[in-house]
Amino acid sequence: MSNFFIATGVVLCLFMLLALYRTIFGPTIIDRMMGANIIGTKTTVLLIIIGTIYGRVDMFVDIALAYAMLNFIVTIAASRYFAHHKNIRAEGYGVLHYTPTKEADK
Amino acid sequence: MIWQIDIMILTLIVICGVFAISVKDLLGAAVVFGAYSFLMCLLWTEMGAVDVAFTEAAVGAGVSTVLFFAAVHRSSRQVKARVSGRLLYKWLGLVASGLMGGVLFYASTDFPDWADPASPASSHLSPHFITQTLTETSVPNIVTSVLADYRGFDTMFETAVVLTAGLAVLIILRLGGCRTAGPVREKSAAIQTAYKDSIIRFVTRMVVPFMQLFALYVIAHGHHSPGGGFQGGVILGASFILLAISYDLKMALNRINEKAALLLANTGVLIYAGIGFLCMLLGANFLDYSILHRILPATDEIAARSHAMLGVEIGVALTVMVIVMVIYNNIVSNGTYEKGL
Repeated sequence: MSNFFIATGVVLCLFMLLALYRTIFGPTIIDRMMGANIIGTKTTVLLIIIGTIYGRVDMFVDIALAYAMLNFIVTIAASRYFAHHKNIRAEGYGVLHYTPTKEADK
Repeated sequence: MIWQIDIMILTLIVICGVFAISVKDLLGAAVVFGAYSFLMCLLWTEMGAVDVAFTEAAVGAGVSTVLFFAAVHRSSRQVKARVSGRLLYKWLGLVASGLMGGVLFYASTDFPDWADPASPASSHLSPHFITQTLTETSVPNIVTSVLADYRGFDTMFETAVVLTAGLAVLIILRLGGCRTAGPVREKSAAIQTAYKDSIIRFVTRMVVPFMQLFALYVIAHGHHSPGGGFQGGVILGASFILLAISYDLKMALNRINEKAALLLANTGVLIYAGIGFLCMLLGANFLDYSILHRILPATDEIAARSHAMLGVEIGVALTVMVIVMVIYNNIVSNGTYEKGL
């Protein structure tokens, strides 16, 4: 049974890798927020899975509950931020595409 | 340690850490940093350090990314790239940090193995804590008893450090900073009334009571499960931050205004130090809780330590809750307390 949970955990980590790709390279900030949110959700599940493997779920449920309750605050903060600032893309958004402009040097 | 999951999490953490500092969009960097915090929490859980993982969960999910967003909101979203600096200094910096990293790597080979029972850290005091905590303090969670009782002096000054951080933010932004609201074009009245956020506000009204109840549970149940004053205080503070975001800053300030906030923050530290001085008044050492059984009704020396730990945790929670709020309020309004996110 423990093997089943370990396999589930590894698969969830692999899914996290996919979400992490979107978080890092996602062209707009919305993509990044989505990716980070998915990572947060998977973290909640992984916490319980790790607790099940250790046989002490009662110790780990509290942390998962804290994530479940607090994880959406950032999303609301972001939506408020974009109500003030309309541009989704910052100048020089990408990791690979960033070239400093002349004005940025000053 | 489950090595399969361990390897995966460590790989993800390294990727996240590298890109959190190389993403140029500051908001994006904040989000990647949030993902990094999730993964760190997983790693700590996976190593069995549940209390640390809980702190990371509360701070990482509830507060730190929101603080980054507030700071970006009041400053700028772009990195000012200084390409024109002297190339020599850059290379000197690279060499210095490379050398430092090399030395640290070399030193890390001297570390004992993970969970090595013969390592110095786990061969002197740890056996005493592990075997004697339950008989000496009647607290099942060793971390809580070490934090609040055996190492109570450290924790008292950690609370004082939290208070000092809040005061520093107050001094810089509220007292000394610029009095303008920063480079934000405020919404016009037409846009403000255009969306009323009824869904967000309704959900917030539903969720915040449960959040605060859960925070109280975390504080009070820290003796038996992971959690305690710091974690519960952060969750309480995050609930007020949520109010301030989904309604507005005025709404949160109506609940706890500035004067009450600072009074509460100082009360927290006062409760902690007061319990310590009470022990001295009764004739024992500073923070030696067992003497408190003389004034607490129906307790023996062991139960008195457990009860005094709860009192101390409440003090910590008060300070942390208020300071988290104060830092958010000041950063998001540039010290003016007028307009939030």
